[in-house]
Amino acid sequence: MILLGLILVPIVFALCVWALPESRAKVVAVIGSLVPLAMGVIAVVQFNWDMPEQFWLGKTITWLEPMGLELSVGVDSVSLFLILLTLLLGPICVLCSFTAIEHRLKTYYGWLLVLQGAMVGVFAARDLVFFYTCFEFTLVPMYVLINIYGSTNRKKAATKFFLYTFTGSVIALAGLVYVVWFSAKETGLWSLDIGVLATTARGMPLGQQTLVMTALLLGFAVKVPLFPFHTWLPLAHTEAPTAGSVILAGVLLKLGTYGIYRFVLGFTPLAVVEHAGVIAVLAIVGILYAGLICWVQTDVKKLVAYSSVSHLGFCVLGLVALNAAGINGAVLYMINHGLSTGALFLLIGMVYERYHTRSMKELGGLASKMPIWATFMVFFVMASVGLPGLNGFVSEFLTILGTFQASNAWSGLPGSTPGVLGPWFAAFAGVGMIIAAMYLLIMVGKVVFGPLVEPANHDDAHSKLPVDLNAREIGILLPLAGACLWLGVYPAPVLRTLEAPVQVTVDRFQMILAQKQADEGESVRVSVVPASAPEEEGETP
Amino acid sequence: MLLQTTDIINSMATLAQNDHAGNVVEHATQAVDHAAAGNMKLALLIPALPILGTILMLLCAIFRIKSKLPAFITVACLGGAFVVTVVTWLGMGEHGAQLVFGFDWINFSWADASSEQSFVANFGLYIDRLTLLWMLFVTGLGTLIALYASEYMADDVGTGYCRFFAAFNLFVFAMTCLVMADNLILLYLGWEGVGLCSYLLIGYFYKKPSAVAAAKKAFIVNRIGDLGLALGIMLIFVQFGTVEYAELFPKVEPLVEAFRAGHMDQIPFTVQLIPVLLMIGAFGKSAQLPLYVWLPDAMEGPTPVSALIHAATMVTAGVFLIARMFPVFLVSEWALPVVAWVGTLTALFSATIGMAQFDIKRIMAYSTVSQLGYMFAGLGVMTSTGAAFHVFTHAFFKATLFLCCGAVMHGFAGQLDLRKISGLWNMRGWRIVTIAMLVGSLNLAGFPFTAGFFSKDMIIAESFVTPGYSAIGWILLITAGMTAYYTFRVFFRVFVGPVHFEPGEEYEGDAEGHGDEGDGHGFHPHAPGWAVNTVLGVLAISSLLAVGTYFINTDQHGWVGSMVHDSSAYMSPLYESHGVVEHDASGHVEASSDVRAGGTFFGLNPHGGVLYYVSAAFGLIGIVIAWWLHYAGRTEAATSRADNLALTKGMLARGARGKWFIDEIYDAVIRKPLWVFANVLYWLDQLLIDGLVNLFGWVPRAMGSLIRPTQNGQLHGYAAGMAGGLVVLMVVVWLMSL
Repeated sequence: MILLGLILVPIVFALCVWALPESRAKVVAVIGSLVPLAMGVIAVVQFNWDMPEQFWLGKTITWLEPMGLELSVGVDSVSLFLILLTLLLGPICVLCSFTAIEHRLKTYYGWLLVLQGAMVGVFAARDLVFFYTCFEFTLVPMYVLINIYGSTNRKKAATKFFLYTFTGSVIALAGLVYVVWFSAKETGLWSLDIGVLATTARGMPLGQQTLVMTALLLGFAVKVPLFPFHTWLPLAHTEAPTAGSVILAGVLLKLGTYGIYRFVLGFTPLAVVEHAGVIAVLAIVGILYAGLICWVQTDVKKLVAYSSVSHLGFCVLGLVALNAAGINGAVLYMINHGLSTGALFLLIGMVYERYHTRSMKELGGLASKMPIWATFMVFFVMASVGLPGLNGFVSEFLTILGTFQASNAWSGLPGSTPGVLGPWFAAFAGVGMIIAAMYLLIMVGKVVFGPLVEPANHDDAHSKLPVDLNAREIGILLPLAGACLWLGVYPAPVLRTLEAPVQVTVDRFQMILAQKQADEGESVRVSVVPASAPEEEGETP
Repeated sequence: MLLQTTDIINSMATLAQNDHAGNVVEHATQAVDHAAAGNMKLALLIPALPILGTILMLLCAIFRIKSKLPAFITVACLGGAFVVTVVTWLGMGEHGAQLVFGFDWINFSWADASSEQSFVANFGLYIDRLTLLWMLFVTGLGTLIALYASEYMADDVGTGYCRFFAAFNLFVFAMTCLVMADNLILLYLGWEGVGLCSYLLIGYFYKKPSAVAAAKKAFIVNRIGDLGLALGIMLIFVQFGTVEYAELFPKVEPLVEAFRAGHMDQIPFTVQLIPVLLMIGAFGKSAQLPLYVWLPDAMEGPTPVSALIHAATMVTAGVFLIARMFPVFLVSEWALPVVAWVGTLTALFSATIGMAQFDIKRIMAYSTVSQLGYMFAGLGVMTSTGAAFHVFTHAFFKATLFLCCGAVMHGFAGQLDLRKISGLWNMRGWRIVTIAMLVGSLNLAGFPFTAGFFSKDMIIAESFVTPGYSAIGWILLITAGMTAYYTFRVFFRVFVGPVHFEPGEEYEGDAEGHGDEGDGHGFHPHAPGWAVNTVLGVLAISSLLAVGTYFINTDQHGWVGSMVHDSSAYMSPLYESHGVVEHDASGHVEASSDVRAGGTFFGLNPHGGVLYYVSAAFGLIGIVIAWWLHYAGRTEAATSRADNLALTKGMLARGARGKWFIDEIYDAVIRKPLWVFANVLYWLDQLLIDGLVNLFGWVPRAMGSLIRPTQNGQLHGYAAGMAGGLVVLMVVVWLMSL
C-alpha cells in the first residue's frame, strides 16, 4: 500500500495546491513533498532487506482480467533506491524554487508534485500499462515547467523536449506491444505483468529480440540520452527552471537507464549480448564527444548539461558490461549522478538568481564574495569528477572495472568475466575521466576562482537574496552533500543490497556469454580442421 | 650469500607466522583478529587524527575563529599522529606486516558458473616497515611544517587560515591512506586525495590567475597519470583476482620464481604490462618526464605547502608505489629499465633547467624533480634501499631548503629573484635561516659526510654495479655536479655576499603608494619569528643527524635499509640464475668482499668505496664553480662573473632558461589541436546532429502544412507522424516474425 501512497499522496497534495489560494501554494507543496519522504523512510523499514532481489511492498489491483489489465506495483532494492532518490529530490526542488518562481505559483507547485508522483510510479510499476503511462506522463508536467517557467528560449526547448522524447517513447512502445503480443501468443494468456513478460520475452529467437531491443533502445536512448540522440538535452536543461533541471538530471534521465536495465537487459538478453559492443561504442563516443564539447562551453548550465551526456555514457557502458561490477556500478551511478549533478544545477541556479546570467565570461572569482557557495561548488564538482571518497568515484570505477573485465580474451583469469568489451573500451572510457577533470576544473577556475568578475549592471542591493547563500539554500544542499559523502565513504551497505538483484541479471548474461564463448571455441576448432586438411593432402603426394 | 632470507615473498608468506600472531595472512578477517591481538588497532588513529583535524577546521571556519587556534589544533592532531606512528613502530618489534581492519568500503561479490568471486577493497591498513618509514617522515614533517605555517600564514588569520589548515590536515589524511592502505583501491583514494589537496593548496591564493592555472594544471596532469594507475589496478584485479596486498603478493611469488629461473614464457604478457601502467601513475604523481610540467608551476602555492607536499611527501608517492609493488616490477623484462632511464633523464633534464632559473623557489622545484629522478633511477637499478634512503634524506633537507626560501619570500614581500637579494648572513635576524640553508645546500649538493651524500652515492654506486647501467651512473654523476652548482649558486648569491635587497611584488610601498620599488627604499624586511626559526633549527639538525641512520644496522645498509628489508620493496639478487649478474641490492658491505661478474668502475668494485671519492669530487667541483662564478669578487647583487660567460648568452642557456619550451610545445601539440577539435565537435553537434533531428521534425510539419494549410499545429503533425510510424513499425515487426 505504501507504494501506491507514495504515488498518490503528492498528487492529492497537488490537487490541494490547485484548490487553495495562491498564498498557500508553497506551504502545501513543502508538506506535499515532505510527507512522501517520510513515507519513504517507512518503506525502507518495511522492505525485506534479506531478499532484496524480490519485489516487495507490492499491491495489485485487477482491472480487466481477460485482457490481463491490472495495476500492479512492487519494488526490489534497485527500484527502491531510485524511488528514494526521487523522494529526496522532491522537497529540494520545492524549496529551491521559493524565490526563483514568482508568478503562477499554483500551476508550478501543483505540476511539480504531480511529476514526483509519476516518477515514483515509473520505478514502482510492475505492470507494463502502468509503467508506460507513468513514463509518458512525466513529459506533461515537465513540458509545463519548461514552457511556462523557463528562460528566454523556453518554448522551443519545451516543444523539442516533448516531441523528441515522445517520439522515442512511442518507438519503445512498439517494442513493448510486440512483447505483450508475443507473450500472449506463447502462453495463450494476456498478461502485462513485467515479470511474466520478461520470462516469455527471453524465449524469443535472436532476430526478434534484436528488433525488440532496437525499438526499446531507441526509446530509452533518447531519454538517457545516449549519443547521438542527445541534442534535446542541452537545450531543455539550459532553458528549464532550476528545479526542472534538477529533476531532469536527477531522475528523468534515469528513467532511460532504468528502462535499459529493466527492459532491454531483462527482455532481450540474447540481442544485448550480440550487440553489447555497438552500444558500448556509442556510450564511449558519447563520453568523449560530450566531454570535449563541455570544454568549449561558455554557458555554465549548458556545460553541466553536456556533462550529463558524458556521465551517463559511463552508466550505459556499465550496463552493457553485463557483469557484476559493471551493473552494480551503473545502478549506483544512477543514484550518484542524480545527487551530484542535481546539486550542481542547484548551485548554478543560486548564482543565476543573484546575477541573472550563466555565462562564464560574465562571472568569475565568486569565491571571494560567496565563500559558502564556493565551498559547496568545489565539493560537488569533485563528486562529479569522481574523486575517491565521494560518491562519483565508486560508481565510475566500478563501471570501468566491469568494462575492463568483460572480455573473452581474459578467459581463465581469476578476475575476468566473459564479455565483448575489454581493456581498450575501459581505456577510452577512462580518458573521459581526464576530460571530466579538464572541463569541470576549468569551469571552477573561471567561475569560482580567479579575480572577481560580475555582470556590468549588477548591484547586490537590488537582490532579494543575501550575497552568499541563505539558510534555506544551505539547508537544501546539505542533505545532498551528506549523501555524496556517505555513498563515497561507506557505500558498502548499498552495494550489499544491490548485489542480489544485480546477480539475477548478471547470472543470465554470464550463462549466455559462457555458452556463446564455448560455441565460438567449437566453431573455431571446426573451421581450423578443414582449413588444414587440404594442406595435408597436398603433402602426401 | 645470495639467497639470504630476504626474499620478500617468502617473508610475506611467513610474516604472520612468528610470535603471538598466529596464522598466515590469508583473509582479512583472520588478520583482524590477529591485529587486534597485536594491539595494532591503535594505528587506526594515524589516519583518524588528521581527519579529525579537518573536521575541527571546518568547525573553526563555521564559527569564524579569528585566532591562530586552527594552527595549534593542526599541530596537535598531526603531532598526535606522529606519536602514534612512533608507538606503532616501536610496537612492531620483529613482526612482519600487520593488517588492521577499519570498515567495509567497496565490497561486493558475484557467483560465477564455477565459483564465487568477490571484489574486496576495504578501509584497512597494511603496516610493515616500509609503511612506517614513510609515515614517520610524513607525520613528523607534517607537524613541523604545520608549526612553521602557523607563523607563515599569520597574515591570513580570519580569512583563509582555516581553509589552509583544513586542506593541510586533509592532505596528511590522504597521504596516510596512500601509504597505509591494505589494498590498491584505498591507495588510489589516497593518491587522488593528495592530488585534491595539492589542487586546493596550490590554488590557495585563488584570486591570482596564475595560482588558479597552476592548480588546474597539477590536477589535470596528475589525472593522466592516475588513469594509468587505475588501469593498472584493474589489470591486477583481472590477472590475480584481488587488489589486496596480503593476497596479491603470494600470487605474484610463483611468477617471480619463474622469472628467477629464466622461464620467461611462464609470465603472461599482461602481467608484464601491469608495471608499465602503474609507472605512468608514478611518473605523474612524482613529476617525471613527460608529466613533470605541473610541479614547477605548483610553486604558486604557499611555501609550507611546497615544502610538505611538493618536496617532501606527496611527490615521493610514485617512489612508494613502485617500492610497494616491487615484486610486480621484477617480473617484467622492461619495466625497471624504463623506470631507470626515465628517472635518469629526468634528473639530468631538470637539472639543466634548474641551473638557468632565477626564481629561487623554482630552482628548488626543478631540483625536486631532479632528485626524484635519482630515486626512480635507484628503483630502476634495483636498489630500493637506496631510493628509499634518498626519499628519506631528501624529505628533510629539501623541506629545510624550501622553508628557508619561504622565510626569504615572506621577509622580502614575495621577492624570489636571486639577482635582487644578497647577503642575508649580514642582516639582523637571518643567521638561523642562513645556517639552515647551508645545511640543506650541503646535503643537496652531496657534500661529503652529509646524509644526501650517502643516499645519492648508494644509487650511483648501484648503477655502476648493475651491468648495462653504467651510462646511467655517469649521467647521475654529472647531474650531481650540476646539482651542487645550482644549489650553491642560490646560496652564494642570496645568503652571503654584499647586503642588498629589493622588495617583491607584494610590497605596496608606504601609505601613499609611493613606495620606490626600484631600490627598496623605505622597505624593511622582517626577519622570521620564533616558530619559523625553531622549525628551521629542528629541520637543519634533523637533516644533519639523518646521516647517523646510515651507520645504524650497517649490515642492512642503514636504518632505512632495515626498514625496507622487511617489506615488499626489498629484493634479493634475482637476476643471478637468470644469467645476468649476481648482485646484492645496494650491498656496500657484503659486496666489498669480492668483486663480482657485474659492473665495475674502471675495474674497481663500485661498492668498494671508490665512488665515495668520485661523487664527492663531482659535488665539490660543482660547489667550487658556483663559488667562483657567483661569490668570489661579487660586489653587487644583480651581476656576477657568470653573466660574462659566453655560455650564458648562447642558445643553450636561452633554452634552459625557457625551460626548453616544453609547456609551449605541449600547448601547441596537444592542447590547441584538441581545443579546435572540440570546437568542431560542438559545431557539428549543433548543425549536423541536431540538424538531422530538426529535419525529421520538419518532414511531418511540411506534410501537415500540405494537408492542412489552415493549421500550423506542430503537435498534430508530429502526433500523426508518430502514429503512422507506430503502425509501420508494428507491421514490420509482425512481418519479421512470420
